[in-house]
Amino acid sequence: MTTLALIQDTFRESFARKIFWGFLGCSTALILLFLLALNIDLVEGARAAVTIFGQEVNRGRLVEVDKMVRGILGGVAAFLFTAGLFLSIFAAAGLIPTVFEPGRIELLLSKPVTRSRLLVGRYLGVLGVIAANMLYLVLGVWLVLGAKTGIWNAGFLAAAGLAVFAFAVLLAVVLLVAVLSSSAVLATMVAYFFVLVSPLLAQHDRIAPLFRRPWARETVECLYYVFPKIYDLGNMSRLILQDRTFPGWMPLWSSALFGAVMLGAGLWAFSRKDY
Amino acid sequence: MAMSTAIIETDGLAKHFRRLWSGGLVRAVDGISLQVEPGAAFGLLGPNGSGKTTFVKLLLSVVHPTAGSSRLFGRDSRDPEARRPVGYLPENHRFPTYQTGFQMLDFYAALSGMPPEDRRRRAAELLEQVGLADWAGIRIGKYSKGMLQRLGLAQALMHRPPLLILDEPTDGVDPVGRRQIRDLLSELRRQGTTIFLNSHLLAEVETFCDQVAIIRAGRVAVAGKLADLTAGSGYHVSAAGVPEAARDRLQALAASIAATNGVVRFQFPDRAAANQGIDLLRESGAEIESVTSARSTLEDVFVRVVEGAQ
Repeated sequence: MTTLALIQDTFRESFARKIFWGFLGCSTALILLFLLALNIDLVEGARAAVTIFGQEVNRGRLVEVDKMVRGILGGVAAFLFTAGLFLSIFAAAGLIPTVFEPGRIELLLSKPVTRSRLLVGRYLGVLGVIAANMLYLVLGVWLVLGAKTGIWNAGFLAAAGLAVFAFAVLLAVVLLVAVLSSSAVLATMVAYFFVLVSPLLAQHDRIAPLFRRPWARETVECLYYVFPKIYDLGNMSRLILQDRTFPGWMPLWSSALFGAVMLGAGLWAFSRKDY
Repeated sequence: MAMSTAIIETDGLAKHFRRLWSGGLVRAVDGISLQVEPGAAFGLLGPNGSGKTTFVKLLLSVVHPTAGSSRLFGRDSRDPEARRPVGYLPENHRFPTYQTGFQMLDFYAALSGMPPEDRRRRAAELLEQVGLADWAGIRIGKYSKGMLQRLGLAQALMHRPPLLILDEPTDGVDPVGRRQIRDLLSELRRQGTTIFLNSHLLAEVETFCDQVAIIRAGRVAVAGKLADLTAGSGYHVSAAGVPEAARDRLQALAASIAATNGVVRFQFPDRAAANQGIDLLRESGAEIESVTSARSTLEDVFVRVVEGAQ
């Protein structure tokens, strides 16, 4: 009951701060774009004439429907892994440190609830707010495109799941930094750092040999395996959408491990902190 | 070993903070041992920065002790279950402004483990009691300081706790609201609720509490029953029409004599001297106007304790 109350309260705060409605508005606009502006006339079963806002796409030539749907879904998935993640971290970083405000935290801690439950409740609440919006966008686009083309690409749902997972890992970073510093700005910066450094480290097998010193090469390799693999997860979602096999599950489990360590460290720091 | 019946019990409770750059130690709370018995109205007093709020935070496990221990209802206060029977109103609270009055009460009561139906009923009842029924659906951001204070008190009372810990409960409340809060607390006391009041308003503590502790520099300087602490030594006797001859004889018995508008006020050092003085006054034909035991105000005690340290 207490965890549910904490989750519900986070949703309430996101409603009041217009974060939830901002996300919902953007997602709805995108869904409506596909619903109203995108016109697909199936001509030869697997091929179609496509218009956007009445303008012909591909100079009026027929396009392969399956390829087009994969392209659109891939675009949406790429959006989720880039702008979507950046916006989500920005929104989440504002929701976490408010709990630690003087005058508010004392009352929360005076209740018969363990500190870990208080923090996990907030974590799940913020994750719920962002996941609800991501899933709304994904399901909306998936349903519109599916209804218009008859192609139901389940891989897109898996890609959305991966985006939510990537956010959950980064949220654990936000949580730890917020507990240690009570600063939304610093928490955002650190989470952005992990997103930005991820595509660089994904090229570790090309970057590492550029260093002359062995320790530098080992550091690059080490950072790649330790840090969350946001870029690799995005790449994984692209391969899933294209029905292609991906190299392995390592980016998934190592990122999960990183997130778990961050969350554990956040809970430990919170349990020891004086307010 | 006999079990303590105390609702709040601390033993050598201490909290020391280390200064960031110099590394020096600040002893915010420095070995406080206190006991608060069931049904008491306990006032915690002290000058600014004496460690009152840190002591309350230690009781509620908001800060962790450097040394010593604290128990609520016999349980280690670090155990979340120890805090279940406690209602708390913090000083300088900042309630979430996105919640309405009703939602705020509902949320904090949910954290205290109250079932939803009970929460709804109790919130409506308390909002009515603190005069905020018409504001139940309005966001807290629109509330005045006094209204927030009353809402905070309602929050502390939601789960009908047998112990209330109130940090400056009437801060920012107008005199009428202050009276309402005092009446509400008095009613709760009659019902057996133990009240731990942390306040800098001496008159408020003096009117309401029966036990007090004055802390200074993180230590208990004085603690005990209010009546004992404010009890002075001796008696004051006022009489009219005291003849000059009797006044000379009374001079030997009284510690001091002062005359105002024909009424002479004697201060006798003890009961025997007071009785002897009264006999003498009667014999001389003087009329006794009043006999009172000499008492100090809480303010006198407070100033004495605080200035005594300087």
